[in-house]
Amino acid sequence: MTVYAKPLSPDIVSQTGNTMVLSMGPQHPSTHGVLQIMLEIEGENVVKAEPEIGYLHTGIEKTAEGLFWTQAQTVIERMDYLAPSSNALCYALGVEKLLGITDRIPERAQIIRVLSMELTRIASHCVWLGTHGIDLGALSIFFYTFDLRENILDLQESSGGARMHPNYLRVGGLNGDLPEGYLVNLDALIEKFPGRMRELRGLLQANPIFQDRTIDLGVLTPQEAISWGVTGPSLRASGIAYDVRRAFPYTGYENYDFDVPTRDEGDAYARFLVRLDEMEESMRIVEQARRRLETPGPVMIDDPKVALPPKETIALSMEALIHHFKLVSEGFRVPPGDVYQAIESPRGELGYYIVSNGENRPYRIRTRPPSLYNLQALKGIAPGNLIADLVVMIGSLDPVFGEVDR
Amino acid sequence: MPSTQTPPIAGVAIDPPSLRPSIDDAFIERVEPGQLRARLEALKNDGYTMLLDLGAVDYLQRKPRFDLVYHLLKLAARKATVAEVGTPARLRLLCGVDEGERVPTVMDLWVSADWAEREVYDLFGIVFDGHADLRRIQMPHDWEGHPLRKDYPMRGPARERAPRPSFANKTNVVAGTPPSGRTLEALQEEIKRARES
Amino acid sequence: MAVSPGHFMLARVDDVARWAQSSSVWPLTMGLACCAIEMMSVTAPEYDIARLGSEVFRSSPRQADLMIVSGRVAQKMGPVVKRLYDQMADPKWVISMGACASSGGIFDNYAVIQGIDTIIPVDVYVPGCPPTPDGLLYAVNLIQQQIREGGRGGILARA
Repeated sequence: MTVYAKPLSPDIVSQTGNTMVLSMGPQHPSTHGVLQIMLEIEGENVVKAEPEIGYLHTGIEKTAEGLFWTQAQTVIERMDYLAPSSNALCYALGVEKLLGITDRIPERAQIIRVLSMELTRIASHCVWLGTHGIDLGALSIFFYTFDLRENILDLQESSGGARMHPNYLRVGGLNGDLPEGYLVNLDALIEKFPGRMRELRGLLQANPIFQDRTIDLGVLTPQEAISWGVTGPSLRASGIAYDVRRAFPYTGYENYDFDVPTRDEGDAYARFLVRLDEMEESMRIVEQARRRLETPGPVMIDDPKVALPPKETIALSMEALIHHFKLVSEGFRVPPGDVYQAIESPRGELGYYIVSNGENRPYRIRTRPPSLYNLQALKGIAPGNLIADLVVMIGSLDPVFGEVDR
Repeated sequence: MPSTQTPPIAGVAIDPPSLRPSIDDAFIERVEPGQLRARLEALKNDGYTMLLDLGAVDYLQRKPRFDLVYHLLKLAARKATVAEVGTPARLRLLCGVDEGERVPTVMDLWVSADWAEREVYDLFGIVFDGHADLRRIQMPHDWEGHPLRKDYPMRGPARERAPRPSFANKTNVVAGTPPSGRTLEALQEEIKRARES
Repeated sequence: MAVSPGHFMLARVDDVARWAQSSSVWPLTMGLACCAIEMMSVTAPEYDIARLGSEVFRSSPRQADLMIVSGRVAQKMGPVVKRLYDQMADPKWVISMGACASSGGIFDNYAVIQGIDTIIPVDVYVPGCPPTPDGLLYAVNLIQQQIREGGRGGILARA
């Protein structure tokens, strides 16, 4: 029987004697996962909040060092489990840069990548909105958002084969083309979305209780947001329109017409509104991508060193058989070098600093987890608020612990 | 030794970042640990207001052993539209640090460095001088060793000693022989008999 | 069952108690990783765990009968899971949801506990990464069946 570490370590002790130290989490319905917060409280007011993370530390970065470049994508998808495709895309783009094949990715693959990125963003915001509502006592919105999310997961399942971790976006393109009937279901979703969005807004946006609990709460000024390293919707709710899709366009985002919603207030309500607007903007991109999907084409790079040969050629061509065997048994090698690749995940700037030493396995993959830096800002905004408002602030920052702890 | 799952390949690059110029859109600089603090202060004053990330890489066979990697972003700390933000400058600052060497903290320049430095300390064992609260962040508080170092076994020191099950050990498969022990000739014989019957 | 006045029905107290117990298995709200999102999905309209009487997710371990270990358990989380299990009142059941909780899954490394059955007893294992909500519903079904039959022990929920 292994001896495990002591569960709790009270790192904050009461300084003045008038305060009490309270441990919130790691099992708590409103911490969105396994977050522990050591709270120093005076009555019900938070004097100091020290989040304790690491309760989901999975060693993904280390595990990836022991896998082939393609295999590593499997574990990397499990970081941000609300938007697995964004991890996969960011990693694939980074490896493609190292391989020097960025310009050779087929057009259709790029469109489908954009499509899955934006669908996954909507799905992720659906989970955020549902759980944020539950935290505030608005239970019914959960049922609406998860219904919408199910439609997106069905699409994901049909294209990638799995509901949550489809591993559909690969280095060099995609796992395969969209299946038959996908576009019909996508059209149904596009048609359903505006009505569902109106319902979501109707449930919460003008709700006086919701407004009372979120307006002027957890205000992040632009200066604070920048110095905490906050990115994504939380940064844009503070008035800075920094969006990686616009600032450093990747996989063809420069060809799409969409706005970057911002708000000036910087409070929890502003972050709520920015995310809702973002869902609608994402749907605009999905519609544009849908229109471009009419023309068929290849979805994987035509390079036998990276892409598996088509299954039907293996039985006929000796060369294809050799390439297939080499790729499956020892993977491909990536030229030595380092690269930093960033994309706009639903939570902010997701980045991978990838180092290759020329082997068939990554030497080091360092993640820039947006949730880690966003959650860290809680230390700045929590003091001086009530404990009950703390859960609203956590919800409005939208952390995902698979990504915070990795 | 890297872990048992990564057998070392002869002739691999020991210092990949030096081998070829980077291919991304960031400026890249390398500084000595002595100048690190002064350079970062100068960069902060130059407008690099956001410390995007701070990570480390362990190049086991290289001297100095570790690389600290600072990713900075030049973003104005005021309200701005998409056009005003434009394409902000990125900068990547690498700093070679040897084992046991101490590095000054940048927590007072960017508050976001707090958890990043704790994580580097936890997973690589690099100590930051002047950090207010340098303790483990990802691993339990009484954990021994620094997991992301290359000489730390993948499955942890306790479990690494136990042998893996034989089916996971590739060396027990003789080349050309199927794992079942049947030879190719026997297999062909079997197929032939099956066809005839 | 409809019993008209003047009639009576004979049953063993054990059976009645088990029947009642099996229809109100209240799970503990403990989400760990990816599987926790699928655990949330079973409460949502499409799957609706309320049909099995298990929609009452309790935040306090004292009020819960069923622990769904949904996701990878890190070395740091292990003692917490153990403590939560100890805090649950008997009788209690455990579903190990997903490959990571059951065996460590693809994370064969220093940080993840290789199967929660090394720290707490498990009644039903659900394979998958993550398992579909149907898989979890079936596992709850198996738990109910176990309660009615009075037995326990590691069952692999094979769909």
